[in-house]
Amino acid sequence: MSALPSDGHSAQILVPHWLAEDDRALLATVVRQALAGGEVHPVGVIHLEDVLTELHVAAARDAVWPTSAARVRKATGWDDDVLPVRLSAAELASLLSLTGLPEELSALLGGGTTP
Amino acid sequence: MDTRFGGSSAGLLQRLRPTRIGVADLREVADGLLPSLATTRLRLDIVQRTGTGSVVVLEEDERTVRVHLSDLAEQMTSAGVRPTADGIAEALASWVAHRPVTDAAARTAGIAVLDWRDAAHTTVGWRVVVRRGHVAVPWTPVRTADGRDVARTRAAASARAGDVPLDLRAEGPVALWSHPAVPVLATSALVAPERMIDRIRATGLSMPDMQVVITPHRPVACADPGIAARLAGESTEASVSLPWPRLAALPWN
Repeated sequence: MSALPSDGHSAQILVPHWLAEDDRALLATVVRQALAGGEVHPVGVIHLEDVLTELHVAAARDAVWPTSAARVRKATGWDDDVLPVRLSAAELASLLSLTGLPEELSALLGGGTTP
Repeated sequence: MDTRFGGSSAGLLQRLRPTRIGVADLREVADGLLPSLATTRLRLDIVQRTGTGSVVVLEEDERTVRVHLSDLAEQMTSAGVRPTADGIAEALASWVAHRPVTDAAARTAGIAVLDWRDAAHTTVGWRVVVRRGHVAVPWTPVRTADGRDVARTRAAASARAGDVPLDLRAEGPVALWSHPAVPVLATSALVAPERMIDRIRATGLSMPDMQVVITPHRPVACADPGIAARLAGESTEASVSLPWPRLAALPWN
């Protein structure tokens, strides 16, 4: 089950959060632990599963179309492993509500879009 | 950007403020290099013409290319070719490798791939390409070509495309197909999408409703429809996304 649209049209606005590889790995670990804990609301489970999907999709997007993110990295001076992870408001809210979310990730996701 | 001269040879500064490639320098390099690129079918000559300067002539079966040496030097200058003997030789060899594909080469070595059909990059279609080293050059049938011959060449190219070895990488729920040396060949697998589904399944991913996201000259991404929409819908880059059963009905370029 997924909250992702299946009609080929994005039904929601996804906002990019530029995260380095370590941050993305930590985010995936935190989400998996939360899902394994079984205390997330069923709707939140769907959003968190979509976050895990997006972490993979972000890497796939960069493999197919590396130019646009590379341009941003060059302009900002960010490292080569920084990628845009695109999240909906509901996915972001589900992440920020996790009690186990480390402060640095919370700051990266909630306090702006810069790494 | 003109890629016929091997785009990697030119630095950004050289492209922005190109140093002129001299006709005499090009002539000197061509005299030494062209004979070594000739084959039993490919003839490369420099023909001296009174008043109009020298002309480079490439002849291979039914295909002929004629270009004034001065025009070729001008094009190399615009493409930012390094104005050294090595730079010019590399660019000239690349230019020869980009020569038109003959009917015989297309018939015996053609591979079916998907390429853009329009300048705006909104639609894709099948086309036959022939690999020359790290380059894949498209074949364009001559206007007078027999339709049955063209169909046979395309059918053989489709059969050959299914045998092109590609790299398959799973990025979570997304399967990425790429060719290690010639990017445009990544779409060759799309001639046999059911075989792709089987190979993807062997990696542990089940994708019966596979949607393919195609950007010619880039890796091909395959995923379930919702995930493919998320992948392609959030990119500003041109791509065509379609369910695998529609691949066979795409037109030929």
